[in-house]
Amino acid sequence: MNLLNPIRLFFSSAVFSFKAQFGWLNPPMWFTMKVVMPLSQMAFFVFVGQFLITTGNAHPDIIAYMAIGNSMMMLSWNTVFSVINITSNDKWDGTLPLMLATPAHRLPVFVGRAMVHVLDGMLSVAISFAYALFLFGVNFGNTNTLALIVAVFLTSFTMAGFGLLIGGLSFYYRDPMVFANIFTFILLIFSGINFPVQALPQPLQFISYIFPLTYGVDAGRKAIAGQTLFDIAPLLGQMLIVGFISIILGYVFFISFEHVARKTGRIEAV
Amino acid sequence: MPQPLRVIYSAFRLAMLHWIVDPQWVIPNVIAPFVFTFVALTLFKEASGPFGLYAVLGGGMMGMWGNTLYGSGFAISFEKWQGTLEEVEAAPSNLLHVIAGRSVSNALFGLTNMVAILLIASAVFRVPLGVANPILFGVSMVLTLLSVSALGLIFASAFVLTRSAQVFTNGLEFPIYVVSGSMFPIALLPFWTQPASYILGPTWGIDAIRLAAGQENASMAFWLDKVGKENAFLAFWLDLGVMLLITLAYLVIAAVLFKMVETKSRRDGSLVEA
Amino acid sequence: MVNADEDKSAYSIQTVDLTKVFAKKKHRGVLGFLRRNVEKEKSKSEGGEAVTIALDRVNLKVQSGELFGLLGPNGAGKTTLVKCLATILIPDGGTAVVNGYDVLKETTMVRASIGLVVGGERTLYWKLTARDNLMYFASLYKMPRKEAKNRVNELLEMMDLLDRADERLEDYSTGMRQKIAIARALLHNPPILLLDEPTLGLDPTFSRQIRNQIRGLCRDEGKTILLATHYMYEADEMCDRIAIINNGQIAVVDSSNRLKAMVKERELVEVACVNPPVGIEAELKAMCKDVDIVTLIQGDEAKSTPSRIKIIGEGAEEHIGTVIDALRRKKVQITSLNVGMPTLEDVFIKLTGGAKLTEGGEAETERHEAQ
Repeated sequence: MNLLNPIRLFFSSAVFSFKAQFGWLNPPMWFTMKVVMPLSQMAFFVFVGQFLITTGNAHPDIIAYMAIGNSMMMLSWNTVFSVINITSNDKWDGTLPLMLATPAHRLPVFVGRAMVHVLDGMLSVAISFAYALFLFGVNFGNTNTLALIVAVFLTSFTMAGFGLLIGGLSFYYRDPMVFANIFTFILLIFSGINFPVQALPQPLQFISYIFPLTYGVDAGRKAIAGQTLFDIAPLLGQMLIVGFISIILGYVFFISFEHVARKTGRIEAV
Repeated sequence: MPQPLRVIYSAFRLAMLHWIVDPQWVIPNVIAPFVFTFVALTLFKEASGPFGLYAVLGGGMMGMWGNTLYGSGFAISFEKWQGTLEEVEAAPSNLLHVIAGRSVSNALFGLTNMVAILLIASAVFRVPLGVANPILFGVSMVLTLLSVSALGLIFASAFVLTRSAQVFTNGLEFPIYVVSGSMFPIALLPFWTQPASYILGPTWGIDAIRLAAGQENASMAFWLDKVGKENAFLAFWLDLGVMLLITLAYLVIAAVLFKMVETKSRRDGSLVEA
Repeated sequence: MVNADEDKSAYSIQTVDLTKVFAKKKHRGVLGFLRRNVEKEKSKSEGGEAVTIALDRVNLKVQSGELFGLLGPNGAGKTTLVKCLATILIPDGGTAVVNGYDVLKETTMVRASIGLVVGGERTLYWKLTARDNLMYFASLYKMPRKEAKNRVNELLEMMDLLDRADERLEDYSTGMRQKIAIARALLHNPPILLLDEPTLGLDPTFSRQIRNQIRGLCRDEGKTILLATHYMYEADEMCDRIAIINNGQIAVVDSSNRLKAMVKERELVEVACVNPPVGIEAELKAMCKDVDIVTLIQGDEAKSTPSRIKIIGEGAEEHIGTVIDALRRKKVQITSLNVGMPTLEDVFIKLTGGAKLTEGGEAETERHEAQ
């Protein structure tokens, strides 16, 4: 069995995916998504927090809580949003039948596309942390750097996997943008970004644990508070399990879609 | 019916028909306001004071704004994607009237969005929806809607100038949520951002809406500081007055900008490019 | 300068030195903003501006009630000319008068006088019904609602689509959609129609229906029609007069018969063959040095259209033997030989010194002749 071929497919898919996003991600757009959006989203919630503080309804710690939460959430634009778009672009652009007609093994192609966004996601988090530090006065003095880097990397990786899951699901749906928007924004509600998961109604809390980001945000906060890699390892372990399940499920959806499409002869119409 | 109004109505009707047959495109525009409102309501849950209504009004405002930005901003682009821009341009009616019709329909979606947020918030979070003066509340909502539509017309023109309209929609959406004071008083913002807040019609509109709802304490207090809290009624009309002036300015800018853009596009052929 | 009043009765469309120039655009990649400055400096230093002259002092006169053809390959300037006349492009020089109105100064009046049909897949709102589309455009053409309703029904009946009026256009075939596009252009009963490749992408059946309709509009309703096309047989068959356009310039304007007479019978030899070898054109040119034009038009094996070697000019007939011997030596299969009987394509090649119409144009010719 030729192992070099899947590896080659993985990397060529990764490079393609990175280049392809520049079809829509020109420099001004990159600037908007990397610099403007993180700042404005963070500012929005920080000022809401400030509003609560000035009316005596919240502790000043809420600012740091929100700033860190929104920073971690920024990677979801690169992972979930971009991966869904790249995954379903083939269908939208009409190149899906051509791709399916190749003998290429689907798994490295599928996974390779998502993984390049992991690094991009980490960059978004780094930029957002800079805002939190310099603009909103968040104290990073106690941070365990190693633990934080690992937490951010693994969160980005598992969220890319989650993006693959939703991307795979969105093959069945006509407009992937709807999915991309829903599943990116919904993280704001369920992943402990601006308030703890426990603030949600009890029956809804289980939803939070479907998203790797929930674990990642918690791990990130703990690392910034000074906890070590060893301390946050259980959280990271749970996150990895959820992430791998997402990748596998996403792959299953993709393969089943291919089967359905070949059987019915209606790829684009599905 | 005068021809310009007829064209505006026809374009409005066309937009509504499109929405009926394909409603899902509205979803990306409404997700953010819904989610932000939900988050704000959760944060405000334990807070003492009428924060519930504060949050839903803010969320509704955001919904109206989001729809305008995406819907109106892409009004001309929509015609390009449909392939109908050349035929619409070649007709003897003014393209600006066509865009205006679309802009009104988008703001109406936004208003519907606001009502939906109000109802859902009331049901899920048990937010009391009592407003002090329902008639003035309605008036201020409709006028704010028109102000937002007028702002949308400016975007419709500006977005023709660039292939990167998406940059503007993504780049403007959240900053406007921040500077318009939709979910917190603009007094909390750094002083240098406040001019940006005051030149936005919706900033005055939402203040008028809050005053009509009886939320004097939540007002940005621009007028209240001058006329006193007991004259909230006067402050309400002053807010509306300022908003109307700003809206008129928007309309003038939109008309001038549109003419410039249309002429430029016809000259360099970019109006008819794919 | 055109005197609109003086010429109003004689010419429906008149252009004088009409010019349109576009700045050349390069597709910019991620680092394109760096590259762009390098290119700008280069074109400046070479003494030229990076522009494309789409229309180069075009002079045209179309008479009232005439079916006038604008024939040329893709990129010749046909669409640019149509769009300038339709007022959706602003010319950079010269003047154009449509139905007595200047396209720059009386834009609204021009728009009220024309119906525009552009070929291609998407020119209507696909998610809406044919009726909704037509009613909407009727309002843009300032038609009172009741009048619009009646007119829409009348046009749908004319197009044989009344029973499908309330179906979405996405469920229509391409040909049916093009019929609706033509119906749209006729809503306000304009005296002038500007048709830009109206049969593009249509199958032969629909193409024929559309052509018949166009002929009827001119013959029975006296409309002035400007038909831009790269299908020679279409221009040949339908048009009272034809203007051949290439590289933004009008090469000649005349009736089809008089144009074909420009290539005398003895001045044309056409050899159809299968898979001619690479380099055969240059070889034959060297052998037939005394003839004006020797050109190879590649065929399309997939569409079963053969390649054609054309020899045009005085003394062409004398080289039949040379050409056939050369092809036989290379074991090329010859399928037909034509001496004389020039087509518009031959006129085009002669006038443009060897430039060719598109592959699509020739393929359509073959299919059309085969019907």
